[in-house]
Parts: sequence; structure tokens; C-alpha cells
Amino acid sequence: MMATKLMRSAALAICIAMAVMAVAAPAPGPWDQPAAALAGQIAGILGPGPVQLNLHNLSSIPGNDVAPIRRLIEQDLTARGVTIGGAETANSIRITLSESARQRVWVAEIVEGDQTQVAMVDLPLAKVEQPQFAGGLLLRKEQIIAGSEPILAALPISGRLVTLEPQQIVIYAATPGNGWRVQQRVSIVQRLPLARDPRGVLIPLADGSGFEASIAGVACAGTGPAAGSWNVQCHASDDPWTILQAPILEAPAQGGAAAPAAVFKAFYNASRNYFVGVVTPGVGVDLPAFYSAALVPRAAGNAALLIDGVDGKVQLAENGALAAVAGTRDWGSDVAALHSGCETGTQLITSGSGEAVSDSLRAYEVPALEAVPVSAPLAMEGAVMALWAAPDAKSVTAVVRKAANQYEVDRVTALCN
Amino acid sequence: MLRRFAISFLLVSAGACAWGRTRPHYGGTLRVEVAGDGIHSSGGLVLRLVLDGLTQMGADGSPQPGLAISWKAESSDHRWEFQLRPGVQFHNGLPLTADRVVASLNQSCNGNCPWTTVRALGASVVFLGDSPMPNLPWLLAQSEYLISLTDDGSGRAPAYYIGTGAFEFSDQDQGQPQDQSSSRSLVANDGYWQGRPFVDKIALSTGRSIRDQWLDLSVGRADVVEVPPEEMRQAQQQRQTVIGSPPVTLLALTISETGALANPMLRTSIAEAVDRAALFNVIFQKQGEITASLLPQEMTGYAFLFPTGRDLNKALELRGGLNTPPLTMGVEGGGAMMLAAQRIALNLREAGFDVQAADMNRVPHPDLTLRTLPIAGSDAAAAMEGLLRAAGEPVAVPRQSTAELFRAEREFLDRRTLVPLIDLPRAYAIGPRVRDFALGADGTPDLASASLEDAP
Repeated sequence: MMATKLMRSAALAICIAMAVMAVAAPAPGPWDQPAAALAGQIAGILGPGPVQLNLHNLSSIPGNDVAPIRRLIEQDLTARGVTIGGAETANSIRITLSESARQRVWVAEIVEGDQTQVAMVDLPLAKVEQPQFAGGLLLRKEQIIAGSEPILAALPISGRLVTLEPQQIVIYAATPGNGWRVQQRVSIVQRLPLARDPRGVLIPLADGSGFEASIAGVACAGTGPAAGSWNVQCHASDDPWTILQAPILEAPAQGGAAAPAAVFKAFYNASRNYFVGVVTPGVGVDLPAFYSAALVPRAAGNAALLIDGVDGKVQLAENGALAAVAGTRDWGSDVAALHSGCETGTQLITSGSGEAVSDSLRAYEVPALEAVPVSAPLAMEGAVMALWAAPDAKSVTAVVRKAANQYEVDRVTALCN
Repeated sequence: MLRRFAISFLLVSAGACAWGRTRPHYGGTLRVEVAGDGIHSSGGLVLRLVLDGLTQMGADGSPQPGLAISWKAESSDHRWEFQLRPGVQFHNGLPLTADRVVASLNQSCNGNCPWTTVRALGASVVFLGDSPMPNLPWLLAQSEYLISLTDDGSGRAPAYYIGTGAFEFSDQDQGQPQDQSSSRSLVANDGYWQGRPFVDKIALSTGRSIRDQWLDLSVGRADVVEVPPEEMRQAQQQRQTVIGSPPVTLLALTISETGALANPMLRTSIAEAVDRAALFNVIFQKQGEITASLLPQEMTGYAFLFPTGRDLNKALELRGGLNTPPLTMGVEGGGAMMLAAQRIALNLREAGFDVQAADMNRVPHPDLTLRTLPIAGSDAAAAMEGLLRAAGEPVAVPRQSTAELFRAEREFLDRRTLVPLIDLPRAYAIGPRVRDFALGADGTPDLASASLEDAP
């Protein structure tokens, strides 16, 4: 009886131990598969027997990962009958953890007497995560879509995403769990040659019923969705583009006051890549040519127009005068307003002034005539090609061109610290 | 490891500006100076400005649409069909058609092509090969296969290159023979299918010595000048703004399989006798990378398997009592190339070979040739095939695993007809007006995307 009890207890203990081991067994790591593959090739060449093993790391694999990799390979070799050690053996394996620009390459040089054979396995390069920085505001980005076609502008509207390409407007619909899928494409007949730095604008209609799209020589209007599709009409146009849609309340200027504006339009130089400086309604002062503009809220409840000039100068049009804004040396050519609710409530998000391949976004506030950074730069891993406020202004939409001419639309939001 | 792939390096940055960096400005004239003619030298700089290929090399090394918008392979890569981009015109207004593309391609490689036949099929170009052509989309991005008009519309061959590219020869240049002019003006193609270039014009001065180029850059008479690899250190010391590429050329010694060096033991002896480290340290001023592999380590990850050291004892042992008559070495290019050839001749003399180095034009059938071969793009299989084709070995390199690529390379190098020596970068120095200057995957400047800071 006692023996039976003991046997039952022992069996139970073994079952529990096995269950615990099964639960506690580590998931396969990133190196398990390539280690097994390389060991398999080596064993196929050498066959069972003793061997000396050396391992060198020429790759970006961290030093503290090398010993575990060596252990994995040794275990896999041992399981295949290749025993490690024994100075008396003439056979040796020299393993090199190497890599190219595209992939890791693990190489084994197997020496048997005066013969050397080579085994090799490829494995993908792991992506290195970029550290995030803390600041008064934390910018973060979320990819919405990506593709290989150039995207000039993107607009989230009515649960859809509208993108403007040089020759078409694409409307995406969100699908639960599957991201965005193309719902509709509308061709744009281009009458002008494509520019090298093409630009375009997508702006929601004031009543939220649709959007306006502008590219060089063409204007489009989209309304909907009705019965699942949008009605989009395009026509040749040299009219000014709607670039901002918010009230601009300006103190009266000498020689004529600017009226509050529901929309704000600017004439675009169709053969270049900038707005010529003629805006409607006027702001009581002549503007120079500029690349982008944003409205800066003022403490009095009004707003001033900030322009990012072709000459690199950032200026504020306010009270019928134009004044340079200091602290904008790191600014690129794109700026958009973000109503984050943090700090003073509204920040300007700007692209960086660095080399195009390593662009970044950063939040600023302009309390007077000086731009004050309120966030750390957010690396965009590509060149920021366009930057526009979302209709609710609680995020900005950035179009980023990646190194391999891939385009990505990102939603950029801010967290208060 | 990735350092050198990221070295489109700015050795000395331009001075800080008071205002932020803007989008690129349109307008102005970019002044470029080169030592050669810009067509057969400098990586075919002029050709890259005037002509386009069916494909173009993406930054990641993959082939991207060029004059072809799509392509597909059939019959195990024996047949490829490339769909042409609609609406593209040559600079003289003639439309791009499949027939014109076929005529250009037939002229480009004179029968030594990766394909057996190429023909027009509607708006497509079809390539047929007796052997598989796994790397064809990559190869078609190379300078050799750029598309130019072979008939100016009146049944005559054009006197100058007429392409579809970002720039075209100016009116006054069109009357001059394209390989004899000492200066050229290239004007922006307003209707370019990839977008008009930012600068209005490129003033290209050819046949300028490096010393004169640097002088012109220093006094503001030039915006872009060449920096040979062996001069990069000096350029850095002079605080020039130097933009360099990853390795894009392989300095190599090719050995004739016929004649005095038909015996593979002698060829191996020569390979073992060459002192790469001396070439690298002394002649090329430690620029680039010593190699015994066809492709750089960054491209394959296995270049370290080919030992680069000199083994004079082994060279002497392999040569043994074999007698060889005096050998000739042809040298492609002068300057550092000739110095390198003389250094190699000294190495070989120590191994018992009597070698005379001379300009390639003076040695019709050399036993040895010191030359540079292109490493085009960052795709290993395609780059290897392109390099082997340039070396006169038209073989298709399979697009399989790294291990297969290594086996193919080792098999070729074991013949000892080509001895890799040094991977070399290409570099340019730029003036303070120039912005967004970048080098393509083959080290050729992308001048269509460059702009001028002081443009109107």
C-alpha cells in the first residue's frame, strides 16, 4: 500500500515537474534556427567525431550574445555526434559570425587535414530600435500606409484616408484588423510636366462633407461617401490653393484690415515648388515666396500667420507687419499646427533642417517672436515630403520618402509629459 | 560593418548658415569639372545625365522602374518582357518606342550581351536568352545599357547622344563631336519624366587636371570637381567638402590564360607574389579596402574567406624551375594606376618574373593587365555578373544563397585569371553653393537632384 502511494506520489511529482518544465522551456530564440542549420551542415561534412572549435564575431551581434550562440552551436553539434574539445584531434572548425549590408552570414571553415571546406547560412539582419527621447512634449508617430508610389499629401477624413498622387487620388477604407485597403482610385489628367519636387494639398471642406485637392495645374473636389463611393471631379485650374482652414483673426492694420477668414488660399508657382507669396484674403502686408504656412494662436484669442520662406527665413505676419522669428535655424520647409492640449495648447510641428535622408519632426511654440522647442526631435527615417494638420488638428499627417523610394504616411501625435 | 555602406561621407561640412534649410531651389548653372571626357571616364557622368535605362538602381540595390514601368520573367529566366513607360520623348521630340529601344540595346553591347536576342513586341521589349538571365533587371540599370537614339529620324546616326534624360546637350554643343569637346553645356529637360532638374544648366569642363580642378574649386570657378581615391586624404587636409561613395570599383590584375602564363601554377605564383598592403598603404593612401574577393565584404559577408596576404615563399615554390619569357603588363589609366603597376612589377621580380609595365595602348596583347572593374549597385549576384562581364567573362550568376554565390566566386577565382587587389571608392569635392549632392549606387553623381544655394 505504502509502495503504491509512493509510486503514485512519484508519478504525480514527475508529471508536475514535466508540466513545469514544459511551461518554463524558453521559446526558441533568434539564434536557435541558424545555429541548428550551421551545425547540421558542419556535421554533414565532418561526420561524428571530435573536433576543435573556434568562434569569431565580425558582425554587429553584441558581444554578450556570442557566448550563447557558441553554446547553441556546440549543443547542436553534440546532438549530431560531433564532440567539441580534444587538443589531439586534427579536425577543427573556425566559425565566423559575419554580415553584409543586407543579411547576417555565419560561416564555418571546416579543416580536415590539409583540406578546408566551407559551410554557410544566411539570416536576416534584425532591425535596431531607435531610442526615444523625453522632452516637454513627446512626439510619436504611427504608420498609416506605405507604398512605392509618390504621395504628395494625405488626409484622414470621415473614417477614410485620402492620398494625393501626381496622377491619381486614392481613397482608402479602414478594415478591422487588416489596416487600410484601396476603396477607390480617381485619375488626374496632368497637363503639366511632373516636377522634381512635386507638391499638392488636400484640405477638408469646412462642413466636413468632402475635400479639396490641388496640384500644379489641376484642382479636384471630392464629396461623399455616398453609397460607399466618393464623387471626385477634377478640372484644369490656375486658382490659388486652399492651404489653411481656420479663422484668422487679425488686428486692424494701417491701410486696411484683414477680415476673418474661413479658408486661406495661396497662389502656387506651378513650374517650381513654392507659393509665390500672394495670399487670399490678404494679411495687410506683402509676403515673400514661401513653402508652407501655419496659424499661430495668440494670447488675445486671435492668430498670426507664420510662413516658412523660400529663402529659409521664418516670419510672422501679424498686425499688418512682417517680423522674423528667431530660433528657427533647425527648421526645414514644412510646418503644421498641432492642437495637442499640452503646454499652451497648440504647437507647431516642423521638419528638420538636416540632410534629407535623416529628417526629423520637432514641436515648437512661438510665444512672441522666438520659436522655443518643446519636444525632442522625432526621427522620421526618411525625408519629410509633406506635413499637414489633420482636420481635427489633434494630429499632423506626414508623408515620408524612405531611402528606397518607398513612401509612407504617418500620423504624428503628441503626449504631454 | 555598416560603416562603409553609410559613407556617403561628408568629410568637412559646409559652414553654418543663419537660416534654416529649405526645400531645394530651382535655377542656376552648376559648374562641373572632370579629368577625362565625362563620357568614357568618371563613370560615364555625361551619359547618366543625358540617357536613361529601362531600369534604374534603387538605393537598396533593387531595380526600380525607369523607361520600363514593369517587367516579368518567364521560362526560368530565359525570357523577359519589359513594358515601356508611355508618353516619354527623346530630346529631339521623337517618342520612345520599343523599336528604338531595341536598336539602342543592339548597339550597346555589340553581340556580347547578356541576352541572345532582343525584339520589340508592341509597347514591350522582349529579351530571349539561350541561358537563363536571372540578373537582367539589375544589369539593365548599368551605364552600358542606357537608351539613346541610333537614328535621328532622317536615317542618319546622331552626331551626339540623344536620350530621354534629365539634361540634353545645348544647341551649340549639338554640332560638336561629342568626344572631342573640352567644355559642354547641358540644359535641363523641362519635360523630363522624373521631374525637371533643379539647376537650369550644367557647364561641364572636360580634360582638366586634378590640380586645375581643385584650384578652380578653391577660387569659386567650379562647383563640383573630382577627387581620386589616392588624393582623398589630401583633400581632407585641405578642408574640402568631399562626398565619397562606398567601394564602386575593383582594382584588379587580369592574367592571360594563353601564352607565357598558360600554366595555372605560374598564375597562382603571380597572385601570391602581389603585395596588396603596399599598394593600399603607399599608392592609394589607405583609401578603399584591401581585398582578394570580387565583391566587398559589405555586399557578401564572406570576403574575409579570401586571404589578402602576400606569400612570397609560396610564389617562389609554385614557380619552381618554370621559365617564363619577359612579361608585359598593360595599364588602364595613368597616375596612380601606373605607379601601382610599377610596384606590382617589383613584387613579381622578387618572385622571379621579369615584367615591363606600359600604357595599355602600347601593349596590344599583354600577359597581365592592371585595370579597374565596376562594382555596380549593392545586389551581390547582379554586381558580380556585371563585374565578370566587364572582365570579359560573360557568365550568368545565380540568384541563390550566399553559399552558392561564394562557390561560384571561388570557382572563378581558382582559375587565377583575375586577381582582386583593392576596392576603391569614387569621390567628389563640392563648393559651398551646392546642396543635396549625392552619389548613386555606382558612385555617379545624381546632378538632377542637386541644387544651388544661391539660385534665384
